Amino acid sequence: MTLDQLDLLLSQVQKPARYTAGEMGAVVKELKPGMLRYAFCFPDLYEVGMSHLGMKILYGHANRRDDVWCERVFAPDTDMQQVMEEMGVPLFALESLDPVKEFDLIAFTLQYEMCYTEVLNMIDLAGLPIRAADRKDPFPLVVIGGPCASNPEPIADFVDLVSLGEGEEISDELFDLCIKAKKEGWDKAEILRRAAQIPGMYVPSLYTVEYNEDNTIKAMVPHDGAPEVVQKRVVTDLDKVYYPETFVVPFIEIVHDRAAVELFRGCNRGCRFCQAGFLYRPIREKSPETVAKDAKNLITSTGYDELGLTSLSTSDYCGLEPLLDNLLDWTEARHVNLSLPSLRIDNFSKELMEKIDRVRKSGLTFAPEAGTQRLRDVINKNITEEDVLKTCRTAFAGGYTAVKLYFMMGLPTETNDDIKGIADLAQKVVDLFYSMPERPKGKSVSVNISVACFVPKPYTPFEFEPQATMDELREKQKYLLSCVRSKKISVSYHDSTTSVLEAALARGDRRLCAVVEGAFRKGSRLDGWENHFKPDAWNEAFEESGVSPDFYAYRRRYYDEVMPWDHLDYGVTKSFFIREHKKAMEGTTTPSCFVGCNGCGAQRLTGGVCKCL
Amino acid sequence: MSVNMVRIFFTKSGRAIYTSHLDLTRAMSRALCRSGLPVWYTEGFHPHLYMTFALPLSLGTTGLCEAMEVKMLEDVPYEEIVTRLNDAMPEGLRAISAAAPVMQPKEIMWADYRLYIRCRTAEGREALDKFFALPEIPTEKRSKKGIKTVDIKHMMQLLSIEDIENGLLVNLRCRAGVEINLNPTLALDALAQTTGFRADQVKIERYAVLTEELKDFK
Repeated sequence: MTLDQLDLLLSQVQKPARYTAGEMGAVVKELKPGMLRYAFCFPDLYEVGMSHLGMKILYGHANRRDDVWCERVFAPDTDMQQVMEEMGVPLFALESLDPVKEFDLIAFTLQYEMCYTEVLNMIDLAGLPIRAADRKDPFPLVVIGGPCASNPEPIADFVDLVSLGEGEEISDELFDLCIKAKKEGWDKAEILRRAAQIPGMYVPSLYTVEYNEDNTIKAMVPHDGAPEVVQKRVVTDLDKVYYPETFVVPFIEIVHDRAAVELFRGCNRGCRFCQAGFLYRPIREKSPETVAKDAKNLITSTGYDELGLTSLSTSDYCGLEPLLDNLLDWTEARHVNLSLPSLRIDNFSKELMEKIDRVRKSGLTFAPEAGTQRLRDVINKNITEEDVLKTCRTAFAGGYTAVKLYFMMGLPTETNDDIKGIADLAQKVVDLFYSMPERPKGKSVSVNISVACFVPKPYTPFEFEPQATMDELREKQKYLLSCVRSKKISVSYHDSTTSVLEAALARGDRRLCAVVEGAFRKGSRLDGWENHFKPDAWNEAFEESGVSPDFYAYRRRYYDEVMPWDHLDYGVTKSFFIREHKKAMEGTTTPSCFVGCNGCGAQRLTGGVCKCL
Repeated sequence: MSVNMVRIFFTKSGRAIYTSHLDLTRAMSRALCRSGLPVWYTEGFHPHLYMTFALPLSLGTTGLCEAMEVKMLEDVPYEEIVTRLNDAMPEGLRAISAAAPVMQPKEIMWADYRLYIRCRTAEGREALDKFFALPEIPTEKRSKKGIKTVDIKHMMQLLSIEDIENGLLVNLRCRAGVEINLNPTLALDALAQTTGFRADQVKIERYAVLTEELKDFK
């Protein structure tokens, strides 16, 4: 497509700059014979996809090679999709405006379950058959990665390859394989067979699923030489691995519109509900020197006025204070704001607060996750009420008047006492504010409680647990509202309808492929957006496929059940999850990895140690 | 500390025309940061890079003589400002010149536009002739305060109509500035409403910004 043809489309849609590219930092290459064309797709709108750090890293990583051209593709909004369909324009890549269908690799990063129908929509919009078996040509190959690739079974029929773990490690091997395959003219079967030999590359079509009479899985049987177990790939040294020196700087405002540097991967805490905390283990920290270097590179090259230091638990980063000392003078001189997401409530010091304050004062957000100590012990959150109050005291004394507290409901073993505990804790924060003589004068306090519905995820100690039913969750929401008495406390919560679907897809098996396809055929796409989500389409799709969402969402699994993801090894062992599940039921906590190794198994991947400072 | 006001003229074309005014502000501010030019920041609680635009341009319109002002903390040769900014700007944005401001933005009275109208020429000419012969053209104009009807007849002057490949090229002078401003797309809407004529595609290009005496804004 030429720019002129694109003009015809763009005059008819909202936010046309989503589809024009031409941003600072976008990579445009001269097409050479033999060059591998790689479409990196994010199955959501531009503003969401452009905020994703992994995509920025892998985009730069792929484009550092002369024989690969990686371009970006995002889901068109509904108005754009309509115009494209009317005018017969297939899905195109932003940099070259060429149809995605002509590419060699079409990669999707799956950040949440609710994007599955959008993956199908984008394959369809590209003009390709959505089922992998119906795509007979060797190229393009559809490959997926990201956290949801850890249980890819509900979309296994639509993809050719699944990349497990960190893309910096595996990408080059996949590129080399594809380049060789094209040169030597391999057929698709041969490519898939050989790809399965790349460590970390899972090829779903080379595995047959056998089921028991009760519909649980009997075995995943590999054939054509595919390995019994596929182990994820990890970067061993974050100080040596590729990190981009620049980002694509969008014209329109995106969700996280800033430069971002990772402090570490993995998490030392072991909260039992948290998939990310286990999925990204082992812990590997970046040295403060590397973080500062990466940060300065990015700010200088992008012109961003905000820098995010990201990780799963930023205040746990061992080098945080020296890093901030190093960075703050530099950023301040350049009018750059620092953002520190994911601060923990138990090690948020006055010194740290003052450092953040030097740049900008906004609201503070913390996540106690549960309302009572008993339940916080079950989920291994390892924070106490005193921690919460102490932190709020520090914040109020420092001039803050707004605190946001994140909670979950529907957690295993939860009772109404735990729900009431949420309201009680918020009330204690309000009371604390008014009891402090040094509170900000003439100001009122605002405590916002945000409550999410708990969804049990694979690769967590709660993977065995049934989800609370929709009716139970609605009852709990109602009860929580009845417990809140102060006008200083506001409550917001998520709808439970999508939570059930999320739970079914998260722990689903290959039989859900028919449901995902059915929902897509009935018009489902962009399911993560409330205004696009069509619950009826999903309900009908479940019914027509003869598959019940309850089987996946509401059923308790036994420890010896074969999980749909048991043949995929993300480091942490199933026996560790069983051990942790038993401890949860007893209400016993497990300390941070920094206190001592708990033997989760992830350290196998990096030769026996977690790399901490 | 003395600060020098600098007016920078630039073009906005190609993929960049789809950048809204707000997005352009952000893009320019980032380009200025990348350029390392010694620009002045506002003081106060949230310091930000000081920057103003003489006459914002509508989304989708090409601009050949756009103007913005910044303040410099040091004397930088004007040619160097242009070069350094161009090295830092995204595709479609190009600085042409920089100089101390001569005029005030409030002196802007007119802007000249080229409208490339894709249509059957005979049909287009007939509609345009009829349109410009109307004694008055009451048109609904949407503003922040709501919708009101204004007569746009005296807010524009037809400079010329030429035949081009696949259509017509219309040169149109529109009132411009803070007080009264006519967006040519509003004139096209009025054209459609009064004559029923709809073009297959229209591309608009602003090529001159003028004062009351029709002098180029400097």
